[in-house]
Amino acid sequence: MFRQLAAVALVLCLCGGIPVGAVAQSNGGTQSVEPWQREFDEICGPTHDAMTFTPDELASLIARCDALLPKLQKLDDTRRKVFTNRLQMCRGLYAYVLESKKSEKK
Amino acid sequence: MSRKTIVAVALLLLSCTPLIAQTKKKRPLPYEYGRVVINNSSERSNMAPVVFEHWIHRRRFTCRVCHVDVGFGMRAGSTGIKAIDNERGFYCGSCHNGKLMVDGKSLFQACAPTMTAENHKRCDRCHSLGKNVQTEVDFFQFSAPLPKERFGNGIDWEKAEEMGLIKPATELEGFSGRKNSMATQKDFALNPKVEGMPDIIFSHQKHTVWNGCELCHPDIFVGVKRGNSHYSMVDISEGKSCGACHVSVAFPLTDCQRCHAKPVQP
Repeated sequence: MFRQLAAVALVLCLCGGIPVGAVAQSNGGTQSVEPWQREFDEICGPTHDAMTFTPDELASLIARCDALLPKLQKLDDTRRKVFTNRLQMCRGLYAYVLESKKSEKK
Repeated sequence: MSRKTIVAVALLLLSCTPLIAQTKKKRPLPYEYGRVVINNSSERSNMAPVVFEHWIHRRRFTCRVCHVDVGFGMRAGSTGIKAIDNERGFYCGSCHNGKLMVDGKSLFQACAPTMTAENHKRCDRCHSLGKNVQTEVDFFQFSAPLPKERFGNGIDWEKAEEMGLIKPATELEGFSGRKNSMATQKDFALNPKVEGMPDIIFSHQKHTVWNGCELCHPDIFVGVKRGNSHYSMVDISEGKSCGACHVSVAFPLTDCQRCHAKPVQP
Protein backbone atom coordinates (compact mmCIF):
# COMPACT_ATOMS: atom_id res chain seq x y z
CA MET A 1 0.00 0.00 0.00
CA PHE A 2 2.76 2.39 1.01
CA ARG A 3 4.66 1.67 -2.20
CA GLN A 4 1.54 2.31 -4.29
CA LEU A 5 0.88 5.60 -2.52
CA ALA A 6 4.49 6.66 -2.96
CA ALA A 7 4.34 5.80 -6.66
CA VAL A 8 1.11 7.81 -7.11
CA ALA A 9 2.63 10.78 -5.27
CA LEU A 10 5.75 10.60 -7.45
CA VAL A 11 3.69 10.50 -10.65
CA LEU A 12 1.58 13.45 -9.46
CA CYS A 13 4.69 15.43 -8.60
CA LEU A 14 6.26 14.73 -11.97
CA CYS A 15 3.04 15.78 -13.70
CA GLY A 16 2.84 18.99 -11.72
CA GLY A 17 -0.28 17.81 -9.90
CA ILE A 18 1.15 18.64 -6.49
CA PRO A 19 2.49 22.18 -6.34
CA VAL A 20 6.22 22.15 -5.81
CA GLY A 21 7.48 24.51 -3.14
CA ALA A 22 4.00 25.31 -1.82
CA VAL A 23 3.73 28.67 -0.19
CA ALA A 24 3.64 28.63 3.59
CA GLN A 25 0.41 29.44 5.39
CA SER A 26 1.86 32.80 6.39
CA ASN A 27 1.76 33.98 2.80
CA GLY A 28 -1.75 35.30 2.80
CA GLY A 29 -3.15 31.87 3.53
CA THR A 30 -2.33 30.68 0.00
CA GLN A 31 -1.87 26.94 -0.02
CA SER A 32 -0.75 26.34 -3.60
CA VAL A 33 1.46 28.23 -5.98
CA GLU A 34 -0.54 29.92 -8.69
CA PRO A 35 0.98 30.20 -12.20
CA TRP A 36 1.57 33.96 -11.86
CA GLN A 37 3.41 33.38 -8.63
CA ARG A 38 5.57 30.64 -10.07
CA GLU A 39 6.48 33.01 -12.89
CA PHE A 40 7.12 35.80 -10.37
CA ASP A 41 9.43 33.58 -8.32
CA GLU A 42 11.30 32.49 -11.43
CA ILE A 43 11.81 36.06 -12.58
CA CYS A 44 12.53 37.80 -9.29
CA GLY A 45 14.19 34.88 -7.46
CA PRO A 46 17.61 35.25 -9.07
CA THR A 47 18.18 39.00 -8.49
CA HIS A 48 21.27 37.99 -6.48
CA ASP A 49 22.77 36.73 -9.74
CA ALA A 50 21.88 39.81 -11.79
CA MET A 51 25.52 40.73 -12.35
CA THR A 52 26.29 37.33 -13.82
CA PHE A 53 23.55 37.45 -16.50
CA THR A 54 24.33 38.26 -20.11
CA PRO A 55 22.62 41.27 -21.73
CA ASP A 56 20.32 38.86 -23.61
CA GLU A 57 19.31 37.09 -20.43
CA LEU A 58 18.64 40.42 -18.73
CA ALA A 59 16.57 41.64 -21.67
CA SER A 60 14.56 38.43 -21.57
CA LEU A 61 13.90 38.82 -17.82
CA ILE A 62 12.77 42.42 -18.37
CA ALA A 63 10.37 41.28 -21.10
CA ARG A 64 8.98 38.61 -18.76
CA CYS A 65 8.47 41.30 -16.07
CA ASP A 66 6.49 43.40 -18.55
CA ALA A 67 4.40 40.40 -19.57
CA LEU A 68 3.64 39.51 -15.96
CA LEU A 69 2.60 42.99 -14.82
CA PRO A 70 -0.94 42.95 -16.31
CA LYS A 71 -1.61 39.62 -14.58
CA LEU A 72 -0.52 41.05 -11.23
CA GLN A 73 -2.75 44.08 -11.72
CA LYS A 74 -5.78 41.79 -11.75
CA LEU A 75 -5.06 40.44 -8.25
CA ASP A 76 -6.86 41.61 -5.10
CA ASP A 77 -5.77 44.98 -3.66
CA THR A 78 -3.24 43.59 -1.21
CA ARG A 79 -1.46 41.17 -3.51
CA ARG A 80 -1.52 43.68 -6.37
CA LYS A 81 0.20 46.25 -4.15
CA VAL A 82 2.77 43.81 -2.78
CA PHE A 83 3.69 42.02 -5.99
CA THR A 84 3.60 44.93 -8.45
CA ASN A 85 6.00 46.83 -6.17
CA ARG A 86 8.27 43.84 -5.88
CA LEU A 87 8.14 43.26 -9.63
CA GLN A 88 9.04 46.89 -10.25
CA MET A 89 12.04 46.52 -7.97
CA CYS A 90 13.40 43.47 -9.74
CA ARG A 91 12.62 44.85 -13.19
CA GLY A 92 14.40 48.06 -12.17
CA LEU A 93 17.45 46.11 -11.07
CA TYR A 94 17.66 44.09 -14.30
CA ALA A 95 17.30 47.26 -16.38
CA TYR A 96 19.97 48.94 -14.25
CA VAL A 97 22.43 46.07 -14.65
CA LEU A 98 21.71 45.86 -18.39
CA GLU A 99 22.35 49.59 -18.73
CA SER A 100 25.57 49.34 -16.73
CA LYS A 101 26.78 46.42 -18.90
CA LYS A 102 26.04 48.43 -22.03
CA SER A 103 27.90 51.44 -20.67
CA GLU A 104 30.90 49.23 -19.79
CA LYS A 105 31.10 48.14 -23.42
CA LYS A 106 31.14 51.69 -24.75
CA MET B 1 17.09 103.56 17.68
CA SER B 2 13.70 104.50 19.00
CA ARG B 3 11.98 102.64 21.77
CA LYS B 4 9.22 101.62 19.34
CA THR B 5 11.75 100.02 16.97
CA ILE B 6 13.36 98.05 19.80
CA VAL B 7 9.97 96.77 20.95
CA ALA B 8 9.07 95.86 17.35
CA VAL B 9 12.34 93.95 16.86
CA ALA B 10 11.88 92.15 20.20
CA LEU B 11 8.35 91.15 19.24
CA LEU B 12 9.53 89.91 15.86
CA LEU B 13 12.26 87.81 17.48
CA LEU B 14 9.79 86.38 19.98
CA SER B 15 7.40 85.41 17.21
CA CYS B 16 10.22 83.56 15.42
CA THR B 17 11.17 81.45 18.47
CA PRO B 18 8.83 78.55 17.68
CA LEU B 19 10.19 78.43 14.13
CA ILE B 20 13.78 78.28 15.37
CA ALA B 21 12.84 75.57 17.86
CA GLN B 22 11.15 73.59 15.09
CA THR B 23 14.12 73.68 12.74
CA LYS B 24 16.54 72.40 15.40
CA LYS B 25 16.15 68.65 15.41
CA LYS B 26 16.31 66.82 18.69
CA ARG B 27 18.84 64.01 18.61
CA PRO B 28 16.91 60.80 19.26
CA LEU B 29 17.76 58.68 22.28
CA PRO B 30 19.34 55.27 21.53
CA TYR B 31 16.02 53.42 21.87
CA GLU B 32 14.23 56.01 19.73
CA TYR B 33 16.68 55.86 16.82
CA GLY B 34 15.06 54.21 13.81
CA ARG B 35 11.55 54.76 15.16
CA VAL B 36 8.94 55.16 12.43
CA VAL B 37 5.44 56.46 13.01
CA ILE B 38 2.97 55.00 10.51
CA ASN B 39 -0.31 56.79 10.10
CA ASN B 40 -1.76 55.89 6.71
CA SER B 41 -5.25 55.39 7.98
CA SER B 42 -4.93 54.79 11.73
CA GLU B 43 -6.33 58.12 12.91
CA ARG B 44 -9.04 58.03 10.27
CA SER B 45 -10.11 54.74 11.84
CA ASN B 46 -9.99 56.25 15.35
CA MET B 47 -6.82 54.32 16.18
CA ALA B 48 -3.54 55.72 17.46
CA PRO B 49 -0.77 55.75 14.81
CA VAL B 50 1.59 52.78 14.76
CA VAL B 51 5.00 53.17 16.38
CA PHE B 52 7.47 50.87 14.66
CA GLU B 53 10.84 50.24 16.30
CA HIS B 54 13.53 49.23 13.83
CA TRP B 55 15.86 47.90 16.55
CA ILE B 56 13.36 45.26 17.66
CA HIS B 57 13.03 43.94 14.13
CA ARG B 58 16.54 44.30 12.74
CA ARG B 59 17.98 41.99 15.39
CA ARG B 60 15.92 39.23 13.74
CA PHE B 61 15.89 40.02 10.03
CA THR B 62 18.12 41.62 7.44
CA CYS B 63 16.82 44.80 5.78
CA ARG B 64 16.19 42.89 2.56
CA VAL B 65 13.68 40.48 4.05
CA CYS B 66 11.31 43.29 5.04
CA HIS B 67 12.05 45.91 2.40
CA VAL B 68 12.28 43.58 -0.62
CA ASP B 69 10.68 40.21 0.12
CA VAL B 70 7.84 41.48 2.30
CA GLY B 71 7.60 44.73 0.36
CA PHE B 72 7.80 47.56 2.90
CA GLY B 73 8.71 50.88 1.26
CA MET B 74 11.76 52.81 2.33
CA ARG B 75 9.85 55.89 3.43
CA ALA B 76 7.25 56.08 6.17
CA GLY B 77 3.81 56.04 4.62
CA SER B 78 4.99 55.00 1.15
CA THR B 79 3.71 51.42 1.48
CA GLY B 80 0.12 52.35 2.23
CA ILE B 81 -0.39 49.47 4.66
CA LYS B 82 -3.99 48.74 5.60
CA ALA B 83 -5.32 46.53 8.37
CA ILE B 84 -6.81 44.18 5.78
CA ASP B 85 -3.32 43.67 4.25
CA ASN B 86 -2.04 42.49 7.64
CA GLU B 87 -5.09 40.31 8.19
CA ARG B 88 -4.45 38.64 4.83
CA GLY B 89 -0.94 37.75 5.97
CA PHE B 90 1.07 40.43 4.20
CA TYR B 91 3.28 43.28 5.47
CA CYS B 92 3.22 43.15 9.32
CA GLY B 93 0.99 40.08 9.02
CA SER B 94 3.79 38.20 7.23
CA CYS B 95 5.28 37.44 10.64
CA HIS B 96 2.66 38.75 13.05
CA ASN B 97 0.17 36.06 12.11
CA GLY B 98 -0.27 34.30 15.43
CA LYS B 99 1.61 31.30 14.01
CA LEU B 100 5.25 32.22 13.50
CA MET B 101 7.23 30.99 16.49
CA VAL B 102 9.96 33.16 18.00
CA ASP B 103 11.80 32.09 21.15
CA GLY B 104 9.23 29.37 21.71
CA LYS B 105 6.27 31.78 21.54
CA SER B 106 3.94 32.56 18.66
CA LEU B 107 4.14 36.14 17.45
CA PHE B 108 0.97 38.08 18.14
CA GLN B 109 -1.39 38.54 15.21
CA ALA B 110 -1.44 41.98 13.61
CA CYS B 111 -4.92 43.48 13.11
CA ALA B 112 -8.22 41.68 13.50
CA PRO B 113 -11.53 41.99 11.70
CA THR B 114 -13.54 42.19 14.94
CA MET B 115 -12.95 44.48 17.88
CA THR B 116 -13.11 42.67 21.21
CA ALA B 117 -11.56 43.75 24.52
CA GLU B 118 -8.80 41.19 23.99
CA ASN B 119 -8.17 42.43 20.44
CA HIS B 120 -8.08 46.00 21.67
CA LYS B 121 -5.20 45.21 24.01
CA ARG B 122 -3.38 43.61 21.10
CA CYS B 123 -4.00 46.65 18.85
CA ASP B 124 -2.24 48.85 21.42
CA ARG B 125 0.98 46.90 21.00
CA CYS B 126 1.51 48.60 17.64
CA HIS B 127 -1.02 51.46 17.62
CA SER B 128 0.80 53.01 20.54
CA LEU B 129 1.62 56.63 19.73
CA GLY B 130 0.90 58.76 22.79
CA LYS B 131 0.23 55.69 24.93
CA ASN B 132 2.43 54.23 27.61
CA VAL B 133 2.90 50.79 26.05
CA GLN B 134 5.78 48.64 27.24
CA THR B 135 7.54 46.52 24.63
CA GLU B 136 8.16 42.87 25.48
CA VAL B 137 11.87 43.40 24.83
CA ASP B 138 13.70 45.90 26.99
CA PHE B 139 16.13 47.95 24.89
CA PHE B 140 18.78 48.29 27.59
CA GLN B 141 18.66 44.63 28.52
CA PHE B 142 18.90 43.67 24.84
CA SER B 143 21.71 46.09 24.00
CA ALA B 144 23.82 45.53 27.14
CA PRO B 145 25.87 42.57 25.79
CA LEU B 146 26.23 44.03 22.27
CA PRO B 147 29.29 45.93 21.01
CA LYS B 148 28.87 49.64 21.49
CA GLU B 149 28.80 52.46 18.97
CA ARG B 150 28.75 56.16 19.75
CA PHE B 151 25.72 57.18 17.74
CA GLY B 152 22.35 55.90 16.53
CA ASN B 153 21.12 53.04 18.70
CA GLY B 154 24.53 52.96 20.39
CA ILE B 155 24.97 49.45 18.98
CA ASP B 156 27.57 48.34 16.44
CA TRP B 157 25.16 46.06 14.54
CA GLU B 158 27.74 44.91 12.04
CA LYS B 159 30.14 43.81 14.75
CA ALA B 160 27.30 42.24 16.72
CA GLU B 161 26.57 40.00 13.75
CA GLU B 162 30.25 39.22 13.21
CA MET B 163 30.50 38.15 16.86
CA GLY B 164 27.42 35.95 16.47
CA LEU B 165 25.46 37.94 19.06
CA ILE B 166 22.66 38.59 16.59
CA LYS B 167 21.73 36.36 13.67
CA PRO B 168 19.42 38.30 11.34
CA ALA B 169 17.55 35.90 9.07
CA THR B 170 18.07 36.36 5.34
CA GLU B 171 14.86 34.62 4.33
CA LEU B 172 11.25 34.42 5.38
CA GLU B 173 9.42 31.28 4.42
CA GLY B 174 6.70 31.92 1.91
CA PHE B 175 8.14 35.28 0.89
CA SER B 176 11.78 34.83 0.00
CA GLY B 177 12.88 32.83 -3.00
CA ARG B 178 15.89 30.57 -2.76
CA LYS B 179 19.03 32.55 -3.40
CA ASN B 180 22.51 31.63 -4.43
CA SER B 181 25.41 33.23 -2.64
CA MET B 182 26.04 36.54 -4.27
CA ALA B 183 29.13 37.51 -6.21
CA THR B 184 29.77 40.98 -4.84
CA GLN B 185 31.49 43.95 -6.41
CA LYS B 186 34.81 45.05 -5.00
CA ASP B 187 35.10 47.86 -2.44
CA PHE B 188 35.88 51.23 -3.97
CA ALA B 189 36.92 54.68 -2.84
CA LEU B 190 35.07 57.93 -3.43
CA ASN B 191 37.09 61.13 -3.28
CA PRO B 192 35.46 63.97 -1.36
CA LYS B 193 35.62 67.46 -2.79
CA VAL B 194 36.72 68.98 0.52
CA GLU B 195 40.48 69.07 0.85
CA GLY B 196 41.85 67.05 3.74
CA MET B 197 38.65 65.04 4.15
CA PRO B 198 39.46 61.31 4.18
CA ASP B 199 38.21 59.24 1.24
CA ILE B 200 35.01 57.29 1.60
CA ILE B 201 35.56 53.56 1.38
CA PHE B 202 32.39 52.01 0.12
CA SER B 203 32.00 48.31 0.69
CA HIS B 204 29.52 46.55 -1.57
CA GLN B 205 29.98 43.40 0.46
CA LYS B 206 28.93 45.03 3.73
CA HIS B 207 25.85 46.47 2.08
CA THR B 208 24.71 43.54 -0.04
CA VAL B 209 24.84 41.08 2.82
CA TRP B 210 21.88 42.84 4.45
CA ASN B 211 20.29 44.62 1.49
CA GLY B 212 20.75 42.53 -1.64
CA CYS B 213 20.93 44.54 -4.88
CA GLU B 214 17.45 45.82 -5.67
CA LEU B 215 16.98 47.66 -2.41
CA CYS B 216 19.57 50.23 -3.53
CA HIS B 217 19.59 49.95 -7.34
CA PRO B 218 18.13 51.76 -9.11
CA ASP B 219 15.71 53.51 -6.74
CA ILE B 220 18.30 54.97 -4.39
CA PHE B 221 21.45 54.85 -6.53
CA VAL B 222 20.42 55.36 -10.12
CA GLY B 223 23.77 56.12 -11.80
CA VAL B 224 25.28 53.24 -13.77
CA LYS B 225 28.74 54.62 -14.39
CA ARG B 226 31.05 55.10 -11.44
CA GLY B 227 32.08 58.73 -10.98
CA ASN B 228 29.13 60.17 -12.90
CA SER B 229 26.88 60.62 -9.87
CA HIS B 230 27.59 63.43 -7.45
CA TYR B 231 26.60 63.25 -3.84
CA SER B 232 26.51 66.10 -1.36
CA MET B 233 26.21 65.99 2.40
CA VAL B 234 23.21 68.33 2.14
CA ASP B 235 21.37 65.85 -0.13
CA ILE B 236 22.41 62.93 2.05
CA SER B 237 21.18 64.65 5.20
CA GLU B 238 17.85 65.18 3.42
CA GLY B 239 17.54 61.42 2.98
CA LYS B 240 18.90 61.05 -0.55
CA SER B 241 21.43 58.36 -1.59
CA CYS B 242 23.28 57.12 1.55
CA GLY B 243 20.83 59.17 3.61
CA ALA B 244 17.98 56.81 2.73
CA CYS B 245 19.29 54.60 5.54
CA HIS B 246 22.09 56.53 7.22
CA VAL B 247 19.90 59.31 8.51
CA SER B 248 17.23 57.29 10.18
CA VAL B 249 18.14 53.64 10.77
CA ALA B 250 21.72 52.67 9.94
CA PHE B 251 24.53 54.49 11.80
CA PRO B 252 23.98 58.24 11.37
CA LEU B 253 25.97 60.87 9.48
CA THR B 254 27.49 62.19 12.72
CA ASP B 255 29.63 59.04 12.77
CA CYS B 256 31.91 60.51 10.06
CA GLN B 257 34.77 58.02 10.31
CA ARG B 258 32.58 55.03 9.55
CA CYS B 259 32.43 56.19 5.90
CA HIS B 260 35.33 58.62 5.60
CA ALA B 261 37.57 55.77 6.52
CA LYS B 262 40.67 56.10 4.38
CA PRO B 263 43.51 58.02 6.05
CA VAL B 264 44.40 61.32 4.36
CA GLN B 265 47.42 60.82 2.18
CA PRO B 266 50.41 62.96 3.29
